Amino acid sequence: MIFKKNETQEEYVAEEDTVMEDNSQSSGEDNIDTVVGPSMIVEGDFASEGNIVVKGTVTGSVCTSKNLTVEEGAKILANVKAGSANVSGEVQGNMRVKDYLELSSTARIIGDIEVRTIAVQAGALLFGKVAMPGMEKSETKSAKNLKGRNRKEMTEE
Amino acid sequence: MDKFIAMYVYLYDNFLNNKKYASVLKAMEIRLTDYGIAGKILHLNNYVDVKPIIDDEIKRGAKTVVIVGNDKTFGHILSRGSTCDCVFGFLPIGNENTVAEVLGVPTGLEAVNALARRRKEKLDVGWFNNRYFVSQLRIPPAKVRVVYDEKFQVSTTYKMEVVVCNFQPFYWKKNKKDAVQQVVHPQDGKLEAFLRPLTKKGWWGADFEEPSIFPFEEMEIVADSPFIVEADGRSTKEVKVKIRLAKNKITMIVGRNRKF
Repeated sequence: MIFKKNETQEEYVAEEDTVMEDNSQSSGEDNIDTVVGPSMIVEGDFASEGNIVVKGTVTGSVCTSKNLTVEEGAKILANVKAGSANVSGEVQGNMRVKDYLELSSTARIIGDIEVRTIAVQAGALLFGKVAMPGMEKSETKSAKNLKGRNRKEMTEE
Repeated sequence: MDKFIAMYVYLYDNFLNNKKYASVLKAMEIRLTDYGIAGKILHLNNYVDVKPIIDDEIKRGAKTVVIVGNDKTFGHILSRGSTCDCVFGFLPIGNENTVAEVLGVPTGLEAVNALARRRKEKLDVGWFNNRYFVSQLRIPPAKVRVVYDEKFQVSTTYKMEVVVCNFQPFYWKKNKKDAVQQVVHPQDGKLEAFLRPLTKKGWWGADFEEPSIFPFEEMEIVADSPFIVEADGRSTKEVKVKIRLAKNKITMIVGRNRKF
């Protein structure tokens, strides 16, 4: 019996170690979304490590490394930084989205957008510049090429 | 061998004196004896401060304090006893055991097996105005505004209910007629605040809006007039409440199916 008890106790100690490891891996990430309800007003630097869902009003700035959802009827009067975003409401401010931005038919954006990929549904309103990092490179290359050709032509003449 | 000798103290809630729990308690006590983890049993009264009792038992050599009861017992004991230097266990009995579900401890006799396994975890507790809370802090609908991490402020034109969850999950319904109950299980490492404005419906009626959810580490609730704060079954009146997360405050024996 004594030997059996010892064995089981060793097992328990091993289990404890694995539990501690699991905990260290899981900490640091938000599984629960941050939700701003329809009649809520958020003022200030609104930042979150997880996803943000806005149904109310936000003024100041919004920052998340993950997904931002602006639902229909929601209003953001702020500069926005996000990993990706789905907009169905109103945004007044510049948007910097790392990956993907989707504007649905009810979206209204007044401000400049910097994004890698954009999808705009018919009916979405946008007033501002749209800059895409992939485009910049090819544009500068083609501009350089053009300049080079012009110079060659000039020297030949 | 001495390393594994741990003295256990069992704190029984008052409601367990009811006859209907006698058979479960007896079965539990037999199994605890079988596992060699039976110990001293103390019956608590509702208005007893448990901290000096636990401190006394620790001085006598107790290493593990086991809470026997439901969510209320858990909150009542740990709100005072979380500063004590011992390992806590939980044997949930009866209804109202939502905290046990989060900790992964089954209700009734099966809980003894989880206790015997001694799967220990360091858990966070909530702290507000020089007091700890473990399960939930609630502010009934009042005109309050909330400042998160000193960075941004959340307010509404209506009165709002604030619920801060540590171990106890948050249950709500989308509206009064909704049959499905929504649940959010709190995670360890952060506190979750649920804000529900009480919006007007029709002439006299009022209904709760869908909750806003904010995970946070520090927040301040401020109001112009005093408001009620209910934490772990105790209510007080405050004008300003600062809520913070006290990390790794208690060592707890948890189950395999815990929710964090």
